[in-house]
Amino acid sequence: MMAPARVMSSNRRRSVTPRSSDGVYPRAAIQPPIWCCLPQPATLAVPALYAERIRTRRKPLSAGAVAAALLAPSLVFLIAFTYWPIVEVGLRSLTEQRFGETARWGFGNFARLFADPHFANAAWNSTLYAAGTIVPSLALALAFAVALRESGKLATVLRTCIVMPLLIPLVAAAALFVFIFLPGGGLLDWYLAKLGIGATNWLGDPSIALGSIIAITVWKNTGYYMLFFLAGLAGIPEDLHEAAKLDGAGAATRFLRITLPLLGPTLGFVTVIALLNVLTQIDHVIVMTQGGPSDSTNMLLYYIYQQAEQNYDPGLASAATLVSVAVLLALSVVGLRALERGMHHES
Amino acid sequence: MKHPVRMLVVCAAALIWLIPFAWMAVASLRPDVSGTEDLASLLPAGPFDFSNYREAWASGRFPLWYLNTTILCVGILIVQCVTVSLAGYAFARLRFRFRGTLFTLFLMQILLPPAVLVVPNLAMITRLGLYDTLPGVMAPYFASAFGVFLMRQTFLSLPRDFEDAAMIDGATRLQVIVHILLPLARPGLVAFAIVSVTSHWNEFLWPLMALNSPSHQVLTVGLASFTSAAESGGSWGVIAAGTALVAAPLLAAFVIFQRQFVASFVFTGLK
Amino acid sequence: MKRTLAACALALAMLARPAAAATDIDFFFPVPVQGKLSNEMQRLITAFNASHPDINVTAVFAGSYDDTNLKTRAAIQAGRPPAVAIESANFVREYVITNDAIPLDDLIAKDGTTPAAFMENFWPALRGNAMDGTHVYGVPFQNSTPILYYNEAAFREVGLDPDHPPATWQEWVDAAKKLTKRDGNTVTRYGLEMVTTYDTLGWLVSAFTMSNGGQYYNPGYGGEVYYNDPTTIGAVQFLDDLVHKHKVMPEGVTDPNAVGNAFFTGRAAMIVNSTGALSFVRENMKQPFRVAFVPRAMVNAVAIGGGSLIIPRGNSPERQKAAWELIKYLTSPEVAGGWSRFTGYFAPNMHAYELPAMKEFLAKNPDAKVAIDQLAYARGWFATYNTVAVRKALEDQVQAVLSGRIKAPEAMANAQKAADEILRPYVDRTAMKLPE
Repeated sequence: MMAPARVMSSNRRRSVTPRSSDGVYPRAAIQPPIWCCLPQPATLAVPALYAERIRTRRKPLSAGAVAAALLAPSLVFLIAFTYWPIVEVGLRSLTEQRFGETARWGFGNFARLFADPHFANAAWNSTLYAAGTIVPSLALALAFAVALRESGKLATVLRTCIVMPLLIPLVAAAALFVFIFLPGGGLLDWYLAKLGIGATNWLGDPSIALGSIIAITVWKNTGYYMLFFLAGLAGIPEDLHEAAKLDGAGAATRFLRITLPLLGPTLGFVTVIALLNVLTQIDHVIVMTQGGPSDSTNMLLYYIYQQAEQNYDPGLASAATLVSVAVLLALSVVGLRALERGMHHES
Repeated sequence: MKHPVRMLVVCAAALIWLIPFAWMAVASLRPDVSGTEDLASLLPAGPFDFSNYREAWASGRFPLWYLNTTILCVGILIVQCVTVSLAGYAFARLRFRFRGTLFTLFLMQILLPPAVLVVPNLAMITRLGLYDTLPGVMAPYFASAFGVFLMRQTFLSLPRDFEDAAMIDGATRLQVIVHILLPLARPGLVAFAIVSVTSHWNEFLWPLMALNSPSHQVLTVGLASFTSAAESGGSWGVIAAGTALVAAPLLAAFVIFQRQFVASFVFTGLK
Repeated sequence: MKRTLAACALALAMLARPAAAATDIDFFFPVPVQGKLSNEMQRLITAFNASHPDINVTAVFAGSYDDTNLKTRAAIQAGRPPAVAIESANFVREYVITNDAIPLDDLIAKDGTTPAAFMENFWPALRGNAMDGTHVYGVPFQNSTPILYYNEAAFREVGLDPDHPPATWQEWVDAAKKLTKRDGNTVTRYGLEMVTTYDTLGWLVSAFTMSNGGQYYNPGYGGEVYYNDPTTIGAVQFLDDLVHKHKVMPEGVTDPNAVGNAFFTGRAAMIVNSTGALSFVRENMKQPFRVAFVPRAMVNAVAIGGGSLIIPRGNSPERQKAAWELIKYLTSPEVAGGWSRFTGYFAPNMHAYELPAMKEFLAKNPDAKVAIDQLAYARGWFATYNTVAVRKALEDQVQAVLSGRIKAPEAMANAQKAADEILRPYVDRTAMKLPE
């Protein structure tokens, strides 16, 4: 298994020094650092500033040009489908064009966005949805991971059961849950009736429709997060637990003092992934409730989809996209900072 | 077994987790189940046969959807392997100006998935004339920051001896990447492949918006319209069968190659 | 020498082939009700292609009315409009406003008739949604009205006469109260259920409002709706009472799946649904059932529903010509009649009912006649600028009423405010655009 979870770091310039085969001395970087992208071969005398042992080699191209060539394919698509779209969203959101008028610059779209009760609903629902999905699914995932970390036949089978929902598309889950939530004759109501509980309109009651959507998401994602926690747990050396046990620490104390802090990076990472999912997983809303009933399952991305497709209002849709992206980035930066702090702890 | 009570609780939870799949299996095998009172029963009596599957196969267009989805996933994966290997190598082995900034730019893409950028991306592929084509659906995924990060980490953990030797012998960088590094990085690539294929197999919103004609439809979008009662005739048994047909391939692959799947998701997450 | 001869022969052979390949056109169609309509449509198209060798139609199933609208507009935006599309009858006005559908007058003229004469083939209630002024933009393909489906056995069980279903709102409430069965605190059978999800809810509320004496929207101008008027408020209050005062209807929103399932399993004694689902109900309902007019408040009134064929802007003249052939085929008495018999929709083309096949069918299936008879009381389907958003403005509020979160007067005030806000850009450019 992996060494203590070396998880995603953001922009730390890690100087990785690969070890030589005898594992003693760090190998020098092969290329001399070329900050000025000189096209000449590296037999040029290099300033003493870069006092690493360099090996003189014949190089036809500078590292910069090579890097450019290697990065070009990715960069082309990255710019075309991530960064230029952001610029476009920004521009489009500042372009006001109402019915029959000509386009002009202005903040009108943002004004309309923040005045739109549907947007407020969507933002609020997304917040509720985030809390309602992230907390339970992480807690359950951690609990399952702790309970199933052993490698026996039974544990493997149980792990498989919990991970299976990860493999099916969300629309397939939606198709099944439409039936499960069918009032009266659906799976849930039918079995609850045997316990004497009356029919509930799981998807048609505005007070609980969001809860039903949350339940589907928790069902689907818990297994995925459990996998990460399993790996994270495996990275905690047994000796720490043994030592603590010898010192007389109970299971709960061990969990709180040793496991949880060392899982910090994993927790941070999984939280960011969960946050991304909150924003991007709306297939079930599209297929099951279409934002209803009474706007109670309207979410940020669904709102964007509606404005763009149903109301032919690309200005509003772009403004909403910009706001959502900004919120996502802000939250993720916070999450990643927590991650880095966790890594500091670790080291 | 340690902690028998704990295990019992987890067993109960696992059974609950299985319920939707259990119903899917049971209902799909019950012919003419619509309108019966015990539609929801997980342990029904009565005849079982495959008529729902036959009907779903006939009224849906599953072979076409399988084909399109496979083309989509394989196409994306092939291009991704090329882009992420090259870029991963550049970040792992080369030093160049703006490396840090560029790397951050790449990483940010993880936080800006195509799903959020549907509106401008749709405009972009329309501009490129790719609306309603499979390449149009694939294009936004060709650059995978996730994959770049993964490959970078993988390459970093590989010793440089072979590379250095090969370069001294006059090999070009490309040859080094293809013949030396990639074979060594295979576990990472395989992990990435599994994660990539799984996530694109299950993708819904972007194909929904970028595709129009039925001949280009993929499994998820096809299933959504299939289960909207129009093509399945509203029969729950047929809906269950159709859902099973969509869910089956990945589920089967998972059950068989369990270890690889789990290791892949964990591996990619850890990196 | 041999080579040249062969080449000449090949060239001649190619010249001798029929001049043009078939015109390829695509056709978007929705299936808004339950039932195997998609397959039947594909069958119709195959028959059309066989009988028209110079045209090759690809039929594209596009989901619900809302979905089909989205797909059509996306395709138009991307520069690849379909040649023909069936749009919800009340979306046609919007296509006219945004200039995305072509008037069919020229194509009608080429056949040697006038728009007015052409529309004479169709039931009067349908003409309003199909035309803009005197121009024809949509040709009705399938049409429906809401009807009342009721469980005959349940009626007899509680002493009601199935031959005399409730005709007024008062009778309706009384019947529903008798039909609702309780087991302690839980309801084992509701007297009444209706489809209250997006699109259908607005349709039903407009019907109830019109039955309550109201107008609901301005049929001559796409910028006005009358949500906050006593007639509409009364209709919504009626729905509220059904759920909360008389307790004969379940609380919350019920989708077509739930309503159908409830009716089939005997958990609902009466349901209100489109006549387009008649075949589906007939196939799945194992107990005897009948259909009737939707009960009236002051007058009998229902809104027509259904879809019309349009030709989006951006198609070449060849495609338009081919599209027109397809439209004529699909709306011909024979095909319209067959589709009606298969689905439960009524045939928009009046002449379909003169054909022997139809007469025979109606004799054997009197329930299919109810929707036709109700046509005498049918009015247009509400259509405005940005119909979907304006419709949802009402539906969100009514759904909240049905769930007990808000009362009718407040809800309708909110709905009117929201709708006016949505309609404002259009109103500012039309009714409120006054001389400088």
